[in-house]
Amino acid sequence: MKEEIFVECKGLSIGYHERSSAFAEVKSNLSLRAFSGEMVGLLGGNGIGKSTLLRTIAGFQTPLSGELLIRGRSVSEYNPDELAKEMSFVSTEIVMVANLTVREMVGLGRFPYTNWFGQLGAEDHRIIEKAIHQVGLSGYENRLINRISDGERQRAMVARALAQDTRIIILDEPTAFLDISNKYEIVRILHNLAKEQGKCIIFSTHELNTALSMADRIWLMLNDSVIDGIPEEVAYGGYFESLFSNNPHLYFDPEKNDFRIRKENLGTIFLTATGNELIWATKALERLGYEVNSTFLVREMIEIEVKQLDRRWQVGCSGKFTVVESLGELCREVKKIKLQP
Amino acid sequence: MRRVPMKSGVEFFLLFLVLILFFLFDLLSGSVHISMAQSFTSFFHPTSADPQITSIIHQFRIPKAITAVMAGAALSVAGLQMQTVFRNPIAGPDILGISSGASLGVALFVLSAGWIFKGAMLFSTMGSWGIVMAAWLGAGCMMLLVVLIASRLRDLMTVLILGILISSAILSVVSVLQYFSSESSLKSFIVWTMGSLGSTTSDQLMVLVPSVLAGLILAFLSAKFLDAFLLGENYAKSMGMNIRLAYLLVFASTSILAGSITAFCGPIGFIGIIVPHLARKFFRSPLHVRLIPATMMLGAVVMLAGDLISQLPGYEISLPINSVAALLGIPIVIWIIFRSKKIGAL
Repeated sequence: MKEEIFVECKGLSIGYHERSSAFAEVKSNLSLRAFSGEMVGLLGGNGIGKSTLLRTIAGFQTPLSGELLIRGRSVSEYNPDELAKEMSFVSTEIVMVANLTVREMVGLGRFPYTNWFGQLGAEDHRIIEKAIHQVGLSGYENRLINRISDGERQRAMVARALAQDTRIIILDEPTAFLDISNKYEIVRILHNLAKEQGKCIIFSTHELNTALSMADRIWLMLNDSVIDGIPEEVAYGGYFESLFSNNPHLYFDPEKNDFRIRKENLGTIFLTATGNELIWATKALERLGYEVNSTFLVREMIEIEVKQLDRRWQVGCSGKFTVVESLGELCREVKKIKLQP
Repeated sequence: MRRVPMKSGVEFFLLFLVLILFFLFDLLSGSVHISMAQSFTSFFHPTSADPQITSIIHQFRIPKAITAVMAGAALSVAGLQMQTVFRNPIAGPDILGISSGASLGVALFVLSAGWIFKGAMLFSTMGSWGIVMAAWLGAGCMMLLVVLIASRLRDLMTVLILGILISSAILSVVSVLQYFSSESSLKSFIVWTMGSLGSTTSDQLMVLVPSVLAGLILAFLSAKFLDAFLLGENYAKSMGMNIRLAYLLVFASTSILAGSITAFCGPIGFIGIIVPHLARKFFRSPLHVRLIPATMMLGAVVMLAGDLISQLPGYEISLPINSVAALLGIPIVIWIIFRSKKIGAL
């Protein structure tokens, strides 16, 4: 498949037109690109303008200035019908309509292709069934959309976008309100669509971890700039650190592809353990705010020692030791030591 | 919950039978007792029937029954369109002030016509067209105002409250206008405000029926747009809907439907709110290609039923139709609010 630029912003300014000639600019001078077959994760803090950008690309708001090209053509040159055949949209809001079946809702996606009365033909029905199958909702065709789970409903919304048969799909926080399994499922479906059908999928999210591990490209909106690049490039450039630079308690952990909360360091614990015990005891002690060390070299700085004894733990400091049965008791013991200096 | 496959043909056929039945009942009921045999004779062989009965049937009961069918269908379809476009389960031509807008239009027309023409032409066909167009204009202006408010304020409750406020304000303006009008025009205006299903003449029907049919045709033409509105305006836009055309169609349709009925029957409330809900409940589909004809027929049936009740079978007096509609409608509206718990789900 030949790679093609599907969405391109050149010096784009986005925001809201206000009374008379004044307008409220949300972001200016955006230069971003998204290619065919790519899944683009749009990241940024609350209120930074992610939704405004997606709404502008989807054509709900007009750009304040600059160029927005959809498949090489300015968005203003498209009529609504043509644009609807290139680009579909899934919002974060939960649509509640009584008595609407999954099939009927997905069928609404055929809007740009049907006649004045919205009559569906054989070809439309084939596309609708295929879309429902692709999101794994086969067997749910006659279920009512307000009687299925949030995850299923969001998948049905994706199916509606698929029925619209567009090369570009824009999704505004499609995984908000969903549990981990459903979040993963939605992202997996989107990923497959990009890979197998060469669609360009642009979605905003707060799930840094998901975006970094699944997206082909990241658009990171910062206070004064917007970064466009592959996930590793953006991480390597140190841009995630600047995302929450105003919050001293957060830091980006490249190992975990996510932000972590920085804790006050209470001291260092010397830990002797192996395998799973080493991993989980380290996590437990780090969560309490200790730095965990397993190297003999720095033993002089150690205040507390923890040692694995088969399935039990030995905790202590300055020669006094206690043996405990579980990680929970271990933590309680460590806290007790800290209380009596 | 799985839905039983559609049996739309059967449902529509049954509803149509019920409609015919209620229409016939309506012809038979009234302050003068007329037997079924007598009414059939006067209907099919007017020459051989009692001339008095023939005149009652032809000049009063048939126009009244046709008016009831028109009013029920028009107000209900107008209500359906408004509920879908504003995504508000208790929207309706009366509650959002579209009917009051029509009243103001009629008041201005009647009072100024009385002043200019001394009220002479009001009861001619020309005058009927004048009244009905004034009502469309009034309803249209009010509809425009409501859409402007709704586009500024996203909160459905606020839009409803503002609609009710503006509606009362307009009705006050109408009352104030009466103080400044001449005696003769005031008289014709009072006659109009007492309007009911039974006050339409056959001449007025010549205006009412084509108007309502035009409004209903526009409603059918807007069916696909209304379906897209179900998912909200953003989704509708993203699917390539021509928003202006959609609003224009719905605008024109509701203004004509609600305006025409208000012009000839006076304000009749609650039918426009409750019938779309009954149609959704019985026909189990939110898609408008089904919902519009269902609402239309169900509205006609409900209005005929209301008319039958208002005539208090067995008594010589009859109750005003708007009071009957309110007494029957308000409990159902309360039920709708309780059922949806939160205003916002259709």
